[in-house]
Amino acid sequence: MTGWTEEQVLAQVRGFIEKEFLYMRPGVALADDDSLMKKGVVDSMGVLEVMQFLTDTFGVTPADDEITEANLGSLRAIARFVVQKLG
Amino acid sequence: MCGIAGIARLEPRGVDLETLGRMAKAIHHRGPDGYGFMTSPHVGFAHVRLSIVDLAGGAQPLASEGGRVVVTFNGEVYNYRELTVELAALGHEFRTHSDTEVLVHAWEEWGPAMFDRLNGQFAVGLFDRATQEVILFRDRFGVRPLFYAQRGGDLYFGSEVKALFATGEIEPAADPLGLDEVFTYWGALPPRTPFKGVQQLPPGHYAVWKDGRLTVKPWYRLDYPEARTEPATAIRELDEIMRSGVAFRLRADVPVGGYLSGGLDSSITCSLAAKASPFALRTFSVAFEDPRFDESAWQNQLAGEIGSHHAVSRITAGQIAADFPDVIRHTETPLLRTAPGPMYRLAKLTRERDIKVVLTGEGADELFLGYDLFKEVAVRLFCARNPASTARPALFNRIYPYLQGANRGGEFWRNFFLDAGTPDDPLFSHLPRFHLTARTKEFYGAAMRDSVGGRDALGELRDALPAAFGSWSPLNRAAWLEMTTLLSPYLLSSQGDRMGMAHAIEGRYPFLDHRLYEFAAALPTSSKLLGLKEKEILRRWARDIVPPAIRTRGKQPYRAPDAPSFFGEGAPAWVAEMLDPERTRALGYFEPAAVDGLVRRARRGAATGFRENQAIVAILSTHLWHERFLHRSLPAPLPAERADVVMHDGATAAR
Repeated sequence: MTGWTEEQVLAQVRGFIEKEFLYMRPGVALADDDSLMKKGVVDSMGVLEVMQFLTDTFGVTPADDEITEANLGSLRAIARFVVQKLG
Repeated sequence: MCGIAGIARLEPRGVDLETLGRMAKAIHHRGPDGYGFMTSPHVGFAHVRLSIVDLAGGAQPLASEGGRVVVTFNGEVYNYRELTVELAALGHEFRTHSDTEVLVHAWEEWGPAMFDRLNGQFAVGLFDRATQEVILFRDRFGVRPLFYAQRGGDLYFGSEVKALFATGEIEPAADPLGLDEVFTYWGALPPRTPFKGVQQLPPGHYAVWKDGRLTVKPWYRLDYPEARTEPATAIRELDEIMRSGVAFRLRADVPVGGYLSGGLDSSITCSLAAKASPFALRTFSVAFEDPRFDESAWQNQLAGEIGSHHAVSRITAGQIAADFPDVIRHTETPLLRTAPGPMYRLAKLTRERDIKVVLTGEGADELFLGYDLFKEVAVRLFCARNPASTARPALFNRIYPYLQGANRGGEFWRNFFLDAGTPDDPLFSHLPRFHLTARTKEFYGAAMRDSVGGRDALGELRDALPAAFGSWSPLNRAAWLEMTTLLSPYLLSSQGDRMGMAHAIEGRYPFLDHRLYEFAAALPTSSKLLGLKEKEILRRWARDIVPPAIRTRGKQPYRAPDAPSFFGEGAPAWVAEMLDPERTRALGYFEPAAVDGLVRRARRGAATGFRENQAIVAILSTHLWHERFLHRSLPAPLPAERADVVMHDGATAAR
């Protein structure tokens, strides 16, 4: 067990996304379940950055068939995915 | 090819040679071989000349035999020999062997009905002394540029905006709405420009100035009268138009060369030119250090096959950054890509090898549905017809085989296209690109945001679509949008005319022969895009013209390195200056905190996506553009005493 809770992962991911993807839109509110894609926060190149962040921070590397909206589509989805992989 | 400029005054106070000399000086790079002026109480013209046709007799401005019509002309009328014969039979006396003289006689004979008779690329100013009208007209697709401004009934025009500012009578200022169009479409849509009060004459339009009033009208409209089936004669017709189109464009009294990208289109133009040319053709290519952008292998193969003398400009990221300020001086607009940079270098190399005229493959992708965008449209429409299908979106993977990693094949990436809009939106085809480009606006500063207000650039475009638009097929609507929003406002100007003319190189475009456009527009779309195979009829026809390996290879889009050019070791000092937070704040186009965030990511190599790449290029180019153009500075005039032609309207002046 690595000791990360879903809420802790979520806070880390939120910090990363706000710093790296929302720096030019500081006023934009991002809810935990908002679609990162549909809100235009993360694009397909951005997905690569998110994946790298998950590897660097949590040691989690999504396989090709895990790169889906269900796993990476929102802050909450990412947090659940990471915790599930760590479990 | 050349540069033109002029002034028409409401009051007969004349146009002095010093002012015309300054206008000519501002665009002297377009025509370093000579220059001339015409003055009269109401009208003055300037011309800088690049001698290509009738080296001895082609000086301008040029008047008709009786002096009624005077012309200043940039470009080419390829069918001038045929028109000369026709006009001579009607009683017109010719004193030169130039295409310029055709224009004055054609105006006398036919008036505005002359435009349809011209096969060529042209931007022209005419003064008709009989009616005291100044007429400006521009070719069908916008190959040659023509800008104008008005002040108190006076008209100012020129091949480049800097000629207008050189008068000292037009004050340079930014037009936030023009800039907002650059950040939507890559270029402001005519008649708008990034400069307040400065307009560009739309392609296929003419303007008549009389007594201080300017009337602008279209003379050519893009249309798509699509046939249900391909005519049995189509291949023969295509062959005739292509061969005569290339032959027309080899008409010159200097050697003509060719740009060779390694793709199908320039392979066709260079192959045909090599066959038709009495000498070994000179061909020119750009090559990149970065193998993702490089097409050298294809270029060398074709050059070997056609036996051309081939020269290569090897582009480094450092050169792109070093050239960028001068590139912006020539484009006169901010950019979202560095792609004009290599074209600037290529023109420089061509000029160093003593070639002034080159054929290029531009236009084929617009006419024959060559771009990936058209395939995206086909796949998006296919998916929209059965949204439940999971197999259909997989077709996107086949459009972009050169993209790697999660950038292709992923659900995120497919959804970028599928979520971009519905087929009932007339801009459906271009919404992914327009939305992606418009992400640059997230970096706008408060002042820019306020100036643009609630302006909806896409809404304005929807309102301005031609009446026939809805009757065309979705792919032809996409083709029209491509011709109108990208080809003329960006490709033919920022990557075409301006980069060539920076080094006095004239580009000629066999695929933009209007006969070929009309032929292609009338074909069924299946002759152009068959499944996901682009330019189908062109490939079928080119069987005996280009080697099979080139004919069957997929399209590789022309791209150049963007953000990495400006960061890292060897980055020029001006980059840091242009990104200085104080400057960003003072200019007001972009938000300093947002720019800081972007620079932080770019410096550590993280700004690798389209969005951030285009934002970096946009911010740097906007600040360079501002520094270059938004300060008043008058060039020293080209002296009248050294001009080839100084024409005075003596009789009228004495009155």
